[in-house]
Amino acid sequence: MEIKSMRTSWASRAADVAIIAVLLLLGFVVIYPFINLLALSFNDGTDAARGGIYFFPRKVSYAAYGMLFENENLLKGLGWSVLRVAIGTGTCLFMTGLLSYIVSIRTFSGRKFMRILFFVTMYFSGGIIPTYILMNQLHLTNTFQVYWIPSLINAYFMLLMASYISDLPEALFESARIDGAGELRIYWRIVIPVAMPVFAAVSIYAAVGHWNSWFDVILYNFNGKFDTLQVYLRRLLLEVEATQQIRDQQLMLHKFQGLSPLTLRAATTIVVTVPILCVYPFLQKYFIGGITLGSVKG
Amino acid sequence: MAAVWKRVRRERQIWLLCLPMIVWVLMFSYYPMYGLLISFQNYVPGHSMFSNWVGFDNFIRFFHEPNFLQIMRNTLVISGLNLLFGFPAPILLALLLNEVKGRAFKKTIQSLSYIPYFISWVVVANILITMLGSDGVLNDILIKLGFIDEPLAFLTNGNYFWGILVSSNVWKDMGFSAIIYLSAMAGIDKEQYEAGRVDGLGRFGLIRHITVPGIRSTAVLLFILAIGGILNAGFEQQLLIGNPLTQDHYEVIDTYVYRFGVQLGNYSYGTAVGLMKSLIGLVLVFIANRLSKRYMESSIF
Repeated sequence: MEIKSMRTSWASRAADVAIIAVLLLLGFVVIYPFINLLALSFNDGTDAARGGIYFFPRKVSYAAYGMLFENENLLKGLGWSVLRVAIGTGTCLFMTGLLSYIVSIRTFSGRKFMRILFFVTMYFSGGIIPTYILMNQLHLTNTFQVYWIPSLINAYFMLLMASYISDLPEALFESARIDGAGELRIYWRIVIPVAMPVFAAVSIYAAVGHWNSWFDVILYNFNGKFDTLQVYLRRLLLEVEATQQIRDQQLMLHKFQGLSPLTLRAATTIVVTVPILCVYPFLQKYFIGGITLGSVKG
Repeated sequence: MAAVWKRVRRERQIWLLCLPMIVWVLMFSYYPMYGLLISFQNYVPGHSMFSNWVGFDNFIRFFHEPNFLQIMRNTLVISGLNLLFGFPAPILLALLLNEVKGRAFKKTIQSLSYIPYFISWVVVANILITMLGSDGVLNDILIKLGFIDEPLAFLTNGNYFWGILVSSNVWKDMGFSAIIYLSAMAGIDKEQYEAGRVDGLGRFGLIRHITVPGIRSTAVLLFILAIGGILNAGFEQQLLIGNPLTQDHYEVIDTYVYRFGVQLGNYSYGTAVGLMKSLIGLVLVFIANRLSKRYMESSIF
């Protein structure tokens, strides 16, 4: 008996070690690309082309970042991205939250109608071309408005927020109604502060979506005037690579001294990734809570 | 009477708030659905939506396209591989994480694991181009280890494309999808494990007979959804990672609709192809749901 339990505990311990080893390897695979690109981005371009840079830069150079931040188009792209995230997230949250509150008012006769009206849009859509034609007809293409108006209300967010709001005690709103407060006022003064956790979770989801989006920019804002950071950086990279292919070494050396597409690409990647990593702790705190919240409710 | 009046007043106020939302959803969600009608026409921008009816011509045309078979092959192979590797990966990760006793270690690994989910495809494409390029770290290591003499053209040789695409998908989504399974595992009653131990189940026995059945309904649900999306083989990743040299391996239905429909202005034809794809997806969800209802006793509707 003694021996048997000892043997199982040895097997169990061996399994523990194996599990930890596998997980460490997985963690490394997830994080290594960022380390490698960080090292490359701080390395001299010509030197980096020799290879062999794995964890740390070999010949430190800030040329890649220098070129990026000297470029005023990059700052413009950053500006549009920040504006898009701020306006897009703010308006989507306000409207979707309001809808979620409305469909949670138990006495409202139209709550089911409104719920279904938006729920259907989760499963059926016109697809890319009819939507594209609509944006053209509304003259939303090549405007900043296309970044926030079409994403004003999100049915999935509605389900998440409504499930939270309908769990709040009805008395909270009823007493305000008796005091004569309007619904918009109740929403602003009571619902938003009380339902803050779910608002925070959804806002992070929406903000990351706006920051990362790429395709809708090239689809709707094709003239390049409202290029967001992601789109601008991709364009820049293609240009740099094209320059390299001309093989006009003279020009290359002159214009991009100490630079190579490799290090420049690494630096641009780091520039778009860092904001995500900065909000990551908040994201974890609220977002993961948000998902579990949704799944528990079903 | 006063109460009724008050209620009507309040409802009027709510309906007033609803009005702009209804207008918005009719405009941006329902009007494009109505716009699907152009797939039965030969739509020319600027002309009326009710002219040039051509019946099913646009749908039939797709089957006669010279690269029809290639597009279908790419779509089915890519999403089949995504399902084959992408579906079990988060389950395995969740099972491994669930077995870890040190809370801090578990939390750290888990936090790391879903970072890639929040990274854009633009960034993932940049990472791949950098690391898999001829001067990238992968070729560098393979040469130093003596496996190859010349850098491999990972990004410009179509034969590597599926592998690269599927691994980056797994890399990106695995950690995030594991969250759902971990929360399902957290919901399993601890007493079941106690009872299992009393019955003499070892560690693997507990996993097999308690943990796995505990997450089965979650897995079935996600599998049904995945089946419904079998024709969604990705879109942004193809456009960002692919290039003209790998097009034979990356062109899927969605990229085809974009390139042929939007970029070349074949609006009606592109819409028809897209519509066909969505309808097949819908039918597949229903079939998968039916089957799981019959054999697994769980379903999504």
